[in-house]
This record gives sequence, structure tokens and C-alpha cells, in this order.
Amino acid sequence: MRENEQIKTLFERVCYENSIQAYNELYITLCSRLIHFSASIVSSYHLAEEIVSDVFMVFWQKRNQLSHVNNPVVYLYVSTKNLSLNTLQQQKRHRHHSLDTLDTEMLAIAPEAENGMVSAEVAQKIERAVRSLPARCQLIFRLIKQDRLSYREVSQLLEISTKTVDAQLTIAVKKISQAIRFDLSDELAQTYLHQDS
Amino acid sequence: MDQEKLYALLAREMAGVLTEEEATVLQQLLQQYPDASYIREVFARNWVPVGKQYNTQQAQLLLEKHQLRMQEVISTADDTALPAKRPLWLLYTGIAASILTILFVGGHWFLSKKSNAPKELAQLVTARGTRSQLLLPDGSRVWLNAGSKLDYPKQFAKNTPREVTLEGEAFFIVTADASRPFKVHTSAFHIRVLGTSFNVRAYPGEDSAVASLVQGSVEVMLDEAGQQVVALRPNEKLTVPVHPPTLNNSTTTTASPQQVMPVYRSKLTPVQDSIITETAWVQNKLAFKHLELEKVAALLDQWYGVEIGFENDSKKQLYFTGVFETESLEQILDALETTLSFKWTKDAAGKIWIE
Repeated sequence: MRENEQIKTLFERVCYENSIQAYNELYITLCSRLIHFSASIVSSYHLAEEIVSDVFMVFWQKRNQLSHVNNPVVYLYVSTKNLSLNTLQQQKRHRHHSLDTLDTEMLAIAPEAENGMVSAEVAQKIERAVRSLPARCQLIFRLIKQDRLSYREVSQLLEISTKTVDAQLTIAVKKISQAIRFDLSDELAQTYLHQDS
Repeated sequence: MDQEKLYALLAREMAGVLTEEEATVLQQLLQQYPDASYIREVFARNWVPVGKQYNTQQAQLLLEKHQLRMQEVISTADDTALPAKRPLWLLYTGIAASILTILFVGGHWFLSKKSNAPKELAQLVTARGTRSQLLLPDGSRVWLNAGSKLDYPKQFAKNTPREVTLEGEAFFIVTADASRPFKVHTSAFHIRVLGTSFNVRAYPGEDSAVASLVQGSVEVMLDEAGQQVVALRPNEKLTVPVHPPTLNNSTTTTASPQQVMPVYRSKLTPVQDSIITETAWVQNKLAFKHLELEKVAALLDQWYGVEIGFENDSKKQLYFTGVFETESLEQILDALETTLSFKWTKDAAGKIWIE
């Protein structure tokens, strides 16, 4: 993917060239995704912003030892995951710290409603369908659809097989598709049927 | 059944992992279920977070907040930390200091250079088969390849160029410092840089020396006086044939004749993904592309500290391409041997023979 290559180039410029400009660009490109990911673990945007800031701080301090990192995106997501779980542990809010207890409030995504193609009503249906997904399934859907990670990257991040990623994503697509399907007005369905015939 | 398949294929399409065969099946299914086209379209659209969203402006604000935190956390002891905005008086005293330094030290420095009085020098030497890494006093980082030698001062003086001397191969990531350009001296050329990463290969035993630039910009000076200068752009390298020893011995800079050296500039050589043959060794990878076996042998020789001989000189001209990382010498030789173009053996003394 083009964006991934761009991220890799920026990452290498930080590691090899100590480029502050590349570092800042990386931050701008990735902070929002990482914050959402972290927020789903720690249940707070405020905390997540600090965690991602810490992740980038460590990245700057260790930049010269990171030139061997194969996939910078995975590296930054895994760092965010670990730091988020550690933060939870320190706060002692939960006994068990794993990705099993995710706050899906932070994960929900839906199509942009204003673009004519998707009505506000359909968008809402989709949102509801997304929210109804199991937490982990929702996370996987978001990581792939929104954060544009690959199967491999998700499997490395969540320590599951790519087969599981595939299966979970299929479940998400199925649930969302069914929600849209039920909601498809006859009219709209007819339009498509006509186009096709 | 077909519907399940449809969902799976839509999922795969969204993830960008659909194979050509699957794409054909998907097309067929879409005809079977016309309303699926709409669903497919919805998945192809841009989606947005339902809760909090960060736009570019907010991301910028977050970055500024982050930079403030970094300045608090990282102490001034680490001079490679993000540069804080310096107060103006510091700048002025800095300029004043540099003028003074030039006035007082300048003369002395020129004298000391002529009389060759050594500053406090340190030396890093790597044997064949080992590589090493070094952090210079200014925060610049150096990877030293096998069989190489780097001379550097224990402390870089203020406002004078940072100078090191290299014999062999090294990869540099130079910390930017406009007031102290960084210079690398080799027997074949001199390199002047501001802040950048580049590779220098200047082994005494080889018939040419190469400067390869990865990022930034460097100037390669073919003579010490800086009369013949080649500026390199990222991803370029300059190959300079090494003089026969007779010419090499002359140390006077003015006496060098105005001869035109047959140097040539070319692109760096990518082998796969982001691996570039010129700098792969920094990442502990051994990479070569369309390289004569004789030179591959020299690489292995240096990498593993073994001796490799040819029983059949015609084999020297075979060309190979490869990237190796954790393989042993034997594994690499076996891999190359699978091309069936040569055989290798090891004699009692441990020397490798290619026949």
C-alpha cells in the first residue's frame, strides 16, 4: 500500500537521519488512529492522548536502535497496545488486562452520511450494526476498514492467525450487510434491479 | 452458502487481499444478488469515527502539546533531543563566541594542522568478520563494517569542522550542526556533510572507493583543496577509482595535477523491498545484485572472516543476486551452489575453494 510505504520512509528518516520533520509528519499521520485504539483499551480519550504521546517519546529516544523494524505501523500499534495495558494495570481499575475488555464506544465507525449515496437513516442502521458486533470483531473491522491495516498486521498486533482475522472480518461484513439489506427501501432496491437487468 | 461466500469476498475486497480468481467469483455473485452492489459500494466509501474525531487542526494541536511534553521530559543532557527554541541572548553569545573562537583558535588550528600535532584521538578498529557501532560525541552514529578503521577525536571542538578518517567501510548518520560541518577523510576522497545519512566504502585492497547517499546531501571532494567537488543527491553514489600507490603517497594538496579523474555517478541498487545493497550490512544483511562471484567471495570473506579461493578462474565471472541475513556461510554457499554453476569445498585449513 502506498500509504504504508510513505510511513516506512518517514520512519526510516527518523531512524537514520534524526529527521524531526519526518517525526512530526508521522505523528500527524498516525496520532488519531492510535489514540482511538488506545482509548478503546483505557476508556478515555484524555488518557489515550497521553499514552500515544508517550509512545512517540519512546520512539524518539530509541530511534537509532529501531532501524531494523520491519513494519513501523505494527511497531507503533504494538507499543500503543502495551503502554495502554500497562497504564490500566497501574491504575488498578481492572484485575485482568487484556484486549478482551474493550470499550467499543471508541471504536464505532459509520459511512459519511452526507455523500448522497448513504442516507442518514442507513448510516444510523450501519452504526447500530457495528455497535452490536462483539468487541474484538469490532476492533478488527475498524483496524482494517478505518486504519487500513493488513491481515498480517492485525494478526501480529492481536496475536491471532490471519485466518481468524479473515473470519472475524467476514462476520462484521455479514452483520453490517444484513442491516443495510433490511433497510434498503424497495425503491432503492428496484433502482439497482433495473440497472442490472 | 453463496451468500456466506459473498460476505467473505466483500470482506476480502475491503481488506485489499482479493485474488484474481476471487474477483471473478465476486463478479458472478454480484450479478446473482444485485442489491449486494449497493452494499459493496457502501464498504468502498469513506467511513468516519462515530464518536470523537480528530481533524488535521486538532492533530496539529496534539503535536504541539506532545512537543512541549518532550521538552519537559527529555533533559538537556541529551543533545539530540528535539531542539528547544533558544532564547535570543544565547544566539548572540553563540555568535560572539564563534567569532572569538575563530580569532583565537583559528590561527592556532591552522598551525597545528600544518605541524600535524595530534588532538586527542580515538580509534575504532573492526577485525574481519565483526562489525561495530559507535556514538560520536556530537550524537552522530557510525556503523563500522568488518575489517575497517575509524579515527575520530574524543571531543569535537566548537565551531570547527567535525573530522574523522576512515579506512574501510562505514555508515554514518550525522547529527545536523551548521556551525560544524562533518568531514570524512579517506585515501580516495573527502566528504563534507551537514546532517544526513550515507555510506562510505574505501577499503585499501579495492580498486575503487564509493560514497553512497541515503538521505540529505553531501559533497564529495576529490582533492583536499576542494577544487574538484561532486554534490550527491539522495539515492546516488559516486565511485572513484583508487590511484596507484605512487600517486597516493603525495601528501601535498597544491601539487596534485589538474587531471580529470574518471569518476562516475550512479543510482543505489535496490534488491528487494527497502533493501539497498550499499547499506544492507548496517541492518546485518548481506545483499548483492548482479555481482561477479569474485566480488561476492570478497564480501563473504570480509563478512565471515574466511578465505575463499578459486580453482577455476572462469568461475569468477559468474553473476549472482541475493539477500542473506541469518544464514551461515555454508548455507549461503549451498544456496549459491544450487544454481549448478559451481561447486564448493572446504579444505583441511578451513579455506573455501570454488571449482
